Amino acid sequence: MDDDTADAAVGVAMVPLCLLGLLLAARAHDNEIYLFGFSLAAFTALFGFSLIKRHYDMKDRPLPATPVQANDHV
Amino acid sequence: MSDHTLQAMPVVYNEEVVRKFMIAAMFWAVIAFTLGTYLALELTWPTFNLGYSFTNFGRLRPVHTSAGIFAFGGSMLFGTAMHVVQRTCRARLWGGPALANFIFWGYQFFIVMAALSYVMGYSKSREYAEPEWHIDLWLTLIWVLMTIVYVGTLLRRAEPHIYVANWFYLAFLITVAMLHIVNNLSLPVSFFGAKSYSLFSGVQDAMVQWWYGHNAVGFFLTAGFLGMMYYFIPKAANRPIYSYRLSIVHFWALIFLYIWAGPHHLHYTALPDWTQTLGMAFSIMLWMPSWGGMINGLMTLSGAWDKLRTDPGLRFSVTAVGFYGMATFEGPVMSIRSVNSLSHYTDWGIGHVHSGALGWVAFISFGAMYYLIPVLWKRPAMWSQRLVAWHYWIATLGIVFYITSMWVAGIMQGLMWRAYDSFGFLQYSFIESVVAVHPFYIIRMIGGVCFLAGGLMMAFNMFMTIRDPQDSRQGFPSGLAVAGE
Amino acid sequence: MPTKIEKDSLTGTNTTGHDWDGVRELDNPLPKWWLYTWLVCIAWAFVWFVLYPSIPLGTTYWHGVLGASTRAEVDRDVAAVTARRAGVMNKIAAEPYDAIRAQPALLEAAQTAGRIGFANNCQPCHGAGGGGAIGYPALAAGAWIWGGRVEDIELTLQHGIRSGDPDARIGQMPRFGADGILTAPQIEQVADYVMTLYQTPRKDAAEADVKAGAALYAENCVACHGENAKGNRELGAPALASRVHLYGGAREQVVAQITQPRLGVMPAWNQRLDAATIKSLALYVHDLGGGE
Repeated sequence: MDDDTADAAVGVAMVPLCLLGLLLAARAHDNEIYLFGFSLAAFTALFGFSLIKRHYDMKDRPLPATPVQANDHV
Repeated sequence: MSDHTLQAMPVVYNEEVVRKFMIAAMFWAVIAFTLGTYLALELTWPTFNLGYSFTNFGRLRPVHTSAGIFAFGGSMLFGTAMHVVQRTCRARLWGGPALANFIFWGYQFFIVMAALSYVMGYSKSREYAEPEWHIDLWLTLIWVLMTIVYVGTLLRRAEPHIYVANWFYLAFLITVAMLHIVNNLSLPVSFFGAKSYSLFSGVQDAMVQWWYGHNAVGFFLTAGFLGMMYYFIPKAANRPIYSYRLSIVHFWALIFLYIWAGPHHLHYTALPDWTQTLGMAFSIMLWMPSWGGMINGLMTLSGAWDKLRTDPGLRFSVTAVGFYGMATFEGPVMSIRSVNSLSHYTDWGIGHVHSGALGWVAFISFGAMYYLIPVLWKRPAMWSQRLVAWHYWIATLGIVFYITSMWVAGIMQGLMWRAYDSFGFLQYSFIESVVAVHPFYIIRMIGGVCFLAGGLMMAFNMFMTIRDPQDSRQGFPSGLAVAGE
Repeated sequence: MPTKIEKDSLTGTNTTGHDWDGVRELDNPLPKWWLYTWLVCIAWAFVWFVLYPSIPLGTTYWHGVLGASTRAEVDRDVAAVTARRAGVMNKIAAEPYDAIRAQPALLEAAQTAGRIGFANNCQPCHGAGGGGAIGYPALAAGAWIWGGRVEDIELTLQHGIRSGDPDARIGQMPRFGADGILTAPQIEQVADYVMTLYQTPRKDAAEADVKAGAALYAENCVACHGENAKGNRELGAPALASRVHLYGGAREQVVAQITQPRLGVMPAWNQRLDAATIKSLALYVHDLGGGE
């Protein structure tokens, strides 16, 4: 699996997690689940958007600045 | 970028996630030390709990232990595991940057949610496994992803053999997953409610909890950090590991024997005698396998002991191995039933845990970080070597205060609780033993202040190292001792 | 990286020939002392397995050749301590208080048993030395609610107060405010009057209010607390003309207690302590300074 596909899969996986968070928050019986659900939705949404931003940032930058090489023993 | 472009280039390691884990580990270390010191203050003078529910000892204690073990320790283990597995396999992290990033942020999310649930008063009341069912499930998700990434990287390695550090990290990932899942099996009252009830009850429940609790020490705080030791000591000392054969034998012996030792936490309880005997005997058999790691760590320095004068970071790692040896000797001694009848339920136990937690876990982490920070941020060295040396001495002093005061307090409690007068009545009431340990609680708190001060020095040093892109070595040529030591 | 066995220049030992990111391994054997110590530990463990209960066998288990059992051990220990105490404790249980007091050795034993029993069972509420706290009677002060003779104290210890025990001491006080028996201004007037019983000269209270309060007291409170406010021990009604007040003597505390009384609970200790220990406790509490 190449990295682009993997990154996309992670992004897609944020959608059900975010919806689950909203469901928990919406039907919560106590404050704790409400806080957890709401935070889960916010976290996964932010993480999803950050992936999209990152993707386009990387496109603007063709090569990593200083690749670390396996045989360069630091 | 795609795999296609990468194949034309040498392996590019994912160091960004390692850097993030190191920053998080430093942050949580300071939080854990601060809370520990505050709780020591509350124990000494209870009015310092301020009377709020969320600053109460009962709610803050799991925040302290989780911040120390899972947040600081866990971030160190995940971060260094990702670093070591890439380097020693000459392979880029499997699964791509987004997955690694998700593991990082997902793990931090777990920590924050767990801490918030504790201060809100939600707890499963299982030591070191306090988070309720939904937070447990989230951790399971993150943990399984981490294991998949780790194994995936091992599978794509360019080296013919798997380095010993990776065996330990893998044992840590797999066993803690098993422990976490079994111990936390519980039935939520509702899918939309935080409260849940354990699947186990009575003495079985206690046994499952301590099978988990003991092996959390064994596989999280011992095996995982031995993995760290096996990479960072030879790297920092620039010496080969002392004995490959010893590493094989002690690895498998440790893995096999540790998992049986849990019942020694339940001596003289409703747990059947045969289970107690097995737990005790396996703890005794575990002594030498634990020491195998210490021997391999210390003997690796033979021929390189002079480095301790010039590299205070390495000094942390070596002292950590010393504390590791001490704690893994003390543990089997305390597991002997007749010793346990004196030491159990006293502050000796707290002292024992902290000689492992501060002396071994935190010190081996400090040693790894002082090596790793300049590597990750491409700096020639830490911003100030002298500050590292100060950190070393003040933290060591803190540990000495902590464990000696708890030894005295614990043994005194144990003796007071079992003292009878000439008529056959108890000589001391419980409250008298509380009064008697008060001075030692003050000393313990001072130890905590020292350790916290060292942690703040380290955080400042780390911040300055990362901020300053120039060669900021403080001008101590190698081979010379740091002035003023 | 290909396998290449080298000789380490510092120690002269061969490496295993692997190299991971610059980390190599020496081919040293297991340290002898380490191996032998471990084998001794394993042998010790197996000896222990034979001697003690160890191996599960279906529904039973290997009991060990020594026949050791922690349950039997604790029974033995408890029996030994009971036997050690039996000489004095049987006498304390059997003899009347005067006889105990007359024998210095017996009295010393009773005081010792009372001291440790009090520290472990009573002190959490009543405080060290019986100093008491708001809601927990001061035992050393002599302000007895249910009687301060040593026999009275023993009875209170045995059955408790509002404890659910059939012979428990039970005192009730109506909820004058919460049940609407008196209005809030009336309760304040009663409080103003009651406070004149122990705070003289009483300041910050209008003469008229104190008078009205006295009239209300005569109608509502006299039956239990008495005309001279010295209380009634038959009913467990505390003396109000006293320097000691169970729920506090400040105005807002008096008002709160009349409005919605707190009625504290003390456990029945006969469920937990034996007769001799209770008698020792009664003596100890009696001698704290307030006994009659």
